[in-house]
Amino acid sequence: MAKKTYDLLFKLLLIGDSGVGKTCVLFRFSDDAFNTTFISTIGIDFKIKTVELQGKKIKLQIWDTAGQERFHTITTSYYRGAMGIMLVYDITNAKSFENISKWLRNIDEHANEDVERMLLGNKCDMEDKRVVPKAKGEQIAREHGIRFFETSAKANINIEKAFLTLAEDILRKTPVKEPNSENVDISSGGGVTGWKSKCCS
Amino acid sequence: MSLLCRTQIALSEENINLKTLRELCFNGIPFEGGIRALCWKILLNYLPLDQTLWESFSKSRGNRVYSQFLKEMIIQPGIAKANLGLAREDVTLEDHPLNPNPDSRWNTYFKDNEILLQIDKDVRRLYPDMAFFQRPTEYPCQLILDPQNDYETLRRRVEQTTLKAQTVNRNRSGVTNVSSPGKALNLYPSNEYEVLPNGSEAHWEVVERILFIYAKLNPGIAYVQGMNEIVGPIYYTFATDPNSQWKEHAEADTFFCFTNLMSENRDNFIKSLDDSQCGITYKMESVYSMLKDKDLELYLKLEEQNIKPQYFTFRWLTLLLSQEFLLPDVIRIWDTLFSDQDRFHFLILVCCAMLMLIRDSLLAGDFTVNMRLLQDYPISDVHTILTKAKELQDNS
Repeated sequence: MAKKTYDLLFKLLLIGDSGVGKTCVLFRFSDDAFNTTFISTIGIDFKIKTVELQGKKIKLQIWDTAGQERFHTITTSYYRGAMGIMLVYDITNAKSFENISKWLRNIDEHANEDVERMLLGNKCDMEDKRVVPKAKGEQIAREHGIRFFETSAKANINIEKAFLTLAEDILRKTPVKEPNSENVDISSGGGVTGWKSKCCS
Repeated sequence: MSLLCRTQIALSEENINLKTLRELCFNGIPFEGGIRALCWKILLNYLPLDQTLWESFSKSRGNRVYSQFLKEMIIQPGIAKANLGLAREDVTLEDHPLNPNPDSRWNTYFKDNEILLQIDKDVRRLYPDMAFFQRPTEYPCQLILDPQNDYETLRRRVEQTTLKAQTVNRNRSGVTNVSSPGKALNLYPSNEYEVLPNGSEAHWEVVERILFIYAKLNPGIAYVQGMNEIVGPIYYTFATDPNSQWKEHAEADTFFCFTNLMSENRDNFIKSLDDSQCGITYKMESVYSMLKDKDLELYLKLEEQNIKPQYFTFRWLTLLLSQEFLLPDVIRIWDTLFSDQDRFHFLILVCCAMLMLIRDSLLAGDFTVNMRLLQDYPISDVHTILTKAKELQDNS
């Protein structure tokens, strides 16, 4: 088997209403580019990015989900294995913000108890179309004890910071464990994947 | 004799032999002569086999029935809306925007708007790599665009709904600096989609109307993201038909063919059926059970790596592979699928073939490599895939 090129594997999940920019947020982070012409995500999509934190190579396995209600039975099955969940709304779309509490309930119901959550108010470059004040985002994040960033995939604001912060938060509570296989079941496997062996297996 | 000749002969029979036509089309419908659109209409059970009936059929279905739908679902509500808006004092007595009664026309109107906005978001993103859907159609819907009509079109409805939502929300959040209407109407500043002048409409607007009518007529399923990707190739095929007599009716013909195709595919889009025998979960699992039967080693590898069928076959199956290949290749795959009587079973064979054709890479790859292969399928030669699928069918 190929040599492992990373120390830890973190599984992250992006959720939120359709059209808030989840795919663009992920594309900015994984490819450092912005593309307005994304077609809607059907079911689930997947990207990988390796980052370095505190001297450790961390492989982020990021799952991008479809936002529409119909896909919830399909996408909620991914919550269980996720170690971090980014919940995205669009600051120019009030409805996407109103639905945040619904998404948070979904996390409570389907994700691991110790999952790291983060709230993102995306499209913050579109100040002239803003309908959700930053303070409202901060307030709901405070109420739920989760971190909050306003982001823009287009203007590249806070995207990398958000992912790295989420990864750091997960790293902080990652126990040192025995080497684990990479093929961790995201849909039913729980908890945190431990240290990776650097040698061949 | 060439396939083109044989297909043309098959189509020239007064009473078309469906079995013969299916066999011919299964191997790909020739691009020449514009016969694909015709074949699809027959294969999708829309045009009758007796071609002496075609002209009257297309006229009556296309012009009469579909136009009636347009009148009922778009024009009449549009006129009602315009009237309601004008005569406000009368409205408050019987029906008004805050009427909590579920039968309230306003209630229906607002619900429809949600669906319309979702459709709108998706159809604007249809095949973004191609110019076609952004271009104006040669046959804008006269019924809708008649300048004599002063009612709310779908285009205006989308604009106004977004505009109103913005104005209200601005006020609620205490921001008094409401941007000018002109500015607010520019809904997609980052996307730079061109708004066509009044009197013309882009192909995507036609697709939007088809999906809106479908959603209104099928409230149990309404609109699910991805349906746009199924209408897209059908409409493209019909709206590029070299025969202008057919091309003119592309909208109505697409609507009926899409409806017929969805009658077989719709269960995949219904959430409550997900775990039933006819739902998508069962179909996704059948891809793996077939793979287990045909290529045990590969099946075991995917199982071992915990690559679940849901990770990639959901999109493959619900969208009939339309997001996995370029449009001309999707159309070629659909020639075969439409020609197979049990087309959704054949689709499972195609998925299985796709897996087996990259078995060496999959057997060598780790979870990440394999997920990438499956989410971004590497083979673009669909002929190889279809040949393999046929082979699997013949051997079963």
